[in-house]
Amino acid sequence: MSKPRVSRREFIKGGVGLTVLSALPYAPRAFAQAENDRIVAAAKGIGKTDVTGMIWSNYYIPMQPSMEDFRKQTGIGVGNIQDISIFDIPQRAMAEALSRSPQFDFFHIDGGMIPSLASAGLLEPLDPYMKKANFKIDAVGDYAKLFTYKGQTYGIPTDGNVHAQYQRKDLLEDPDAQKRYADKYGKPLAMPETWDDDFNIMKFFHNPEKGLFGSANLRNRANGVTWYLMYLYAHGGFPFADDMKPTLNTPAGNRALEIYLREKAVAHPESPGWGTPQMIPQIAGGRSVACQYWDGIIKLNENPKKSKTAGKWAYSTPPSANVGGKTIVRTISSPVGALLVNKYSPRKEAAAYLALWWGTAKSANQYVADNVNTFHDAWHKSNMTNPGVEAAYTSGGLKAVGECLQVACPPIYLTGYLEFQDQLGKHLSEAYVGQRKASEVLPNVENEWAKIVKRIGTKKLQEELATYKSNMPTIDKPKMS
Amino acid sequence: MSSVVAVPGSVAPAAPREVSRARGIRRFKWAILAPLIALFAGVLLPVLLLQLYFSFHQWSVYLGSWWDAEWVGLDIFKEVLTDPRFGWSIIRSLAFALGSTIGCFLIGFGLAYLMHKPFRGQALYYILFIIPMLTVPIVVAYTAEMLLYDAGPINDIISRIGGVEHKVPFLTNPDFALTSVMLLEVWNWTPFSFIIMLAGFSSLPKEPIEAARILGASTWRIFWEVQLPLLRPVIFLALTLRFLEAMAEFPKIWALFQGGPGSATETIPVYIFLTTWQYFEVSKGAAMSYLVMMLMIVIVLLAIRLLRREKHAIDAMTAAASRTA
Amino acid sequence: MTKSQKNRIGSIVRYTLLTIWAVIVAFPLYWMVSTSFKPSEQWFAWPTVYIPDPWTIVNYLDVWTDRQEVATGQYIISAQRPWIAFGNSLMIALTATTLSVVYGAVIAYGVSRYRVLSEVRMFQLLMLRMIPPIVIVAPLSLYYSALGLLDTATGLILIYFLTTLPYSVWMLKSFIDEVPREVEQAAEILGAPRWRTLVEVVLPLVRSGIVATFLFILILTWSEYLLALLLAKTEVVTLPIELSKYQGTTEGRVYGRQAALSVGITVPLVFIGLIIRKHLARGFSFGMIRR
Repeated sequence: MSKPRVSRREFIKGGVGLTVLSALPYAPRAFAQAENDRIVAAAKGIGKTDVTGMIWSNYYIPMQPSMEDFRKQTGIGVGNIQDISIFDIPQRAMAEALSRSPQFDFFHIDGGMIPSLASAGLLEPLDPYMKKANFKIDAVGDYAKLFTYKGQTYGIPTDGNVHAQYQRKDLLEDPDAQKRYADKYGKPLAMPETWDDDFNIMKFFHNPEKGLFGSANLRNRANGVTWYLMYLYAHGGFPFADDMKPTLNTPAGNRALEIYLREKAVAHPESPGWGTPQMIPQIAGGRSVACQYWDGIIKLNENPKKSKTAGKWAYSTPPSANVGGKTIVRTISSPVGALLVNKYSPRKEAAAYLALWWGTAKSANQYVADNVNTFHDAWHKSNMTNPGVEAAYTSGGLKAVGECLQVACPPIYLTGYLEFQDQLGKHLSEAYVGQRKASEVLPNVENEWAKIVKRIGTKKLQEELATYKSNMPTIDKPKMS
Repeated sequence: MSSVVAVPGSVAPAAPREVSRARGIRRFKWAILAPLIALFAGVLLPVLLLQLYFSFHQWSVYLGSWWDAEWVGLDIFKEVLTDPRFGWSIIRSLAFALGSTIGCFLIGFGLAYLMHKPFRGQALYYILFIIPMLTVPIVVAYTAEMLLYDAGPINDIISRIGGVEHKVPFLTNPDFALTSVMLLEVWNWTPFSFIIMLAGFSSLPKEPIEAARILGASTWRIFWEVQLPLLRPVIFLALTLRFLEAMAEFPKIWALFQGGPGSATETIPVYIFLTTWQYFEVSKGAAMSYLVMMLMIVIVLLAIRLLRREKHAIDAMTAAASRTA
Repeated sequence: MTKSQKNRIGSIVRYTLLTIWAVIVAFPLYWMVSTSFKPSEQWFAWPTVYIPDPWTIVNYLDVWTDRQEVATGQYIISAQRPWIAFGNSLMIALTATTLSVVYGAVIAYGVSRYRVLSEVRMFQLLMLRMIPPIVIVAPLSLYYSALGLLDTATGLILIYFLTTLPYSVWMLKSFIDEVPREVEQAAEILGAPRWRTLVEVVLPLVRSGIVATFLFILILTWSEYLLALLLAKTEVVTLPIELSKYQGTTEGRVYGRQAALSVGITVPLVFIGLIIRKHLARGFSFGMIRR
């Protein structure tokens, strides 16, 4: 299949069109097609190239068809992948950075790693390629910001991983429960508005004897920290002050800790050790009341072939909190699957254009709509109106995702991300299983964090703090679509 | 062997022949050792030197290449030695190694004692008992997860026996986790102790035992006063090797717990792994590694002294026996 | 109590104790094998399903063949088939083990007959094995990356060879010590070169020792995890690493497939172990036992 080369005039026209169209909520189909052609045109001179990537096969398999498409048009495709879990890729990518290795051309990795990897010199800025192909990350809300660092773009998202509220609708709608709940709490039984509502509903339905557990939130050492950060942001907290002093032992930080620890009373007794492989069967198997969970599981829940709870869920943004008189809603996006390109690779150009290709509306709709390989979540503006995507998520699910994306916060978006995160995770886990007093957690973590800050360099981190802060959502609540 | 005979003999005169023989032996010795020396000089030495370099240079991986790291003297060692996490991880490792070694040894010894005389079905038991050692540790870990998780068969059996549904949190209770891996280690490596002890039992000389029996000693006394002392060197060997291997155990703990729940299973290998490959504090990891190496060397030196003493005793005994024979 | 009564009781006690341990050993193995034949809804059913019903080989097909499960929409784990990992494991473990045993035999012979290493040096060699691999793996990976040995079979073979050599030397020395010197002396008087004496006279006499050592080293190299995890990447993935990919699955636990892969990893070693089980016992005595 040969495509005519895009002429210079069309090129400019495309650019003008882009500025105009980006003001519109969703780009029309014709424009989407042109987007793909421009990337092909920009990549045309490179020739036949096989790139190597570090990517989890669960993500890679649904991305394969659009890659093959790109190979047909440009000769650029994926030769070999290292197939490891997205939770393990950060460490492996850092190891690559340490040895300045040119072996991998792209990494499909948690966007939170961008500052660390960029500081370690591994990442190729993508703006020049985006400019050449006249490409823009057309994500919902300000989501595209999460992949920038010090004013440059380092990642192309493929996965709008955000935590959404999951609530068992069938339980909420039970008249008997509604009456008892209203009598007990003086409030109608409905989607939780505040974090306390959330906990009360979990507690109200929690019934281990019948195999029903209030909360399905993760509390293991590796993942629990993501929930803590969500609680922290949701209460107006932020982990660092402008001078890089840790600010966890604050009202917001303590409130987050309280929420984190109190759910032990309504969680499965094995929760301290459970990661997502153990928890997902609980959720889809109808053994939990509520949770804030990665939105991809909506697709799983609503797929009757894989779930016992299809049609039984209601979805929304996580509960809100009152901060200084304002009601704010926040959620977290971690890990965000994004494509990063290796600066040391001789094939980086090819990898960069392939990454852009995967960031187009056409590709995104293809892999996000897949309800079998549910790892990619909606993130592209065009996902929000795509019938295939909507079928996978249900309209209620997709609406919730769209709202969550508008108030998604990054994890600790600084160099040393993994270290900050693991110190916090370790202390939280110790407190959760009762090895450590709750009152010790935040002061201890602040101490450990201060050491990390000192080691990485206070000045360097202060400079990064501006990026971190500007990547935070600017609106209090999502605009309802 | 007939080919050896076919080789023609040397006909050189006596004295120069001795000289050339000595030279030949020397050359032969060097030829044997040369690859070993090359391996040491080419792989081990650079690695240890690199490790030493990192122990004294603070390398912040985000700031520059490792050869630009800043000299900080003993600062990193100070940091490690004042880190309570490091102390705890050493204690956990020692507890894990000690517990699993004793477990492996007691069971292995007991099995060897029960099996050292022939009986019907011996071969079948023997085959079964060595299989755990042939199972890959990662497989042991995943199979253990299937067995021990809350709704797994072990809890099902416990519930059936007890009559009430009772789910023991083998994998998620921090008080239990280290013991759980210890039991796995025992399951996995008891065959090693068992085989060593079985060889020990079967090599015991028959005469002293027969003599004691004729003198009317009970089986129990024969065991304590004749068999056990003769087995001492083998016992030392079984304990030492197992202990040292258990100190380095990583795959089972990592696959099942990654140091959690809380920090209940954060042993030395896990902590060094986290420090180096999760936090990228390569320098701190290097300093810890050196300290751990020191600790291991002390333990090994002690073990070697004991082993050598036992070995000499055995050698002397064999020599005496062969003289009388 | 008569002697025969005593013997009877003794034998009952022995069988009881041995059978208890046999059950403890066999149950996990049975569980692994039976789970690998269970259909997915029985992997974690409560109340527990002890015997697969019906028995199915679908897990093996999913793991070990190219039957692409994308079509059925269930539990995708890996785009790479474990046969590649199986081949890597086989090649790396066999090569490293062979090198280790061959060179180990040479050193052991040198020590036994020519004292190329003093007793103290021998113990120092054993000490090398006792340093946990985690302690050297960070600088080793930097060194390897400089040499271009990261992610190569050569790199893994080299380090496996080095770390298992002490065991080879120690185990084989105890066998060679037992070979009477008269045979070699006869060969030497006849003027046979020393290498030929070693290869053609001594080694055939310690065959069973070589076999036992080979198996033991093979156990270590076949199952090695940490070094393979950190020194290999895309080109070279060994079976333990392939299995550990199940750790991060997000679609629930896939016990049946895990078990099907586990069985595949375990069977080769068990098979070899059973063939040469008789040789095992003597290999582990490290010269602490004399006959």
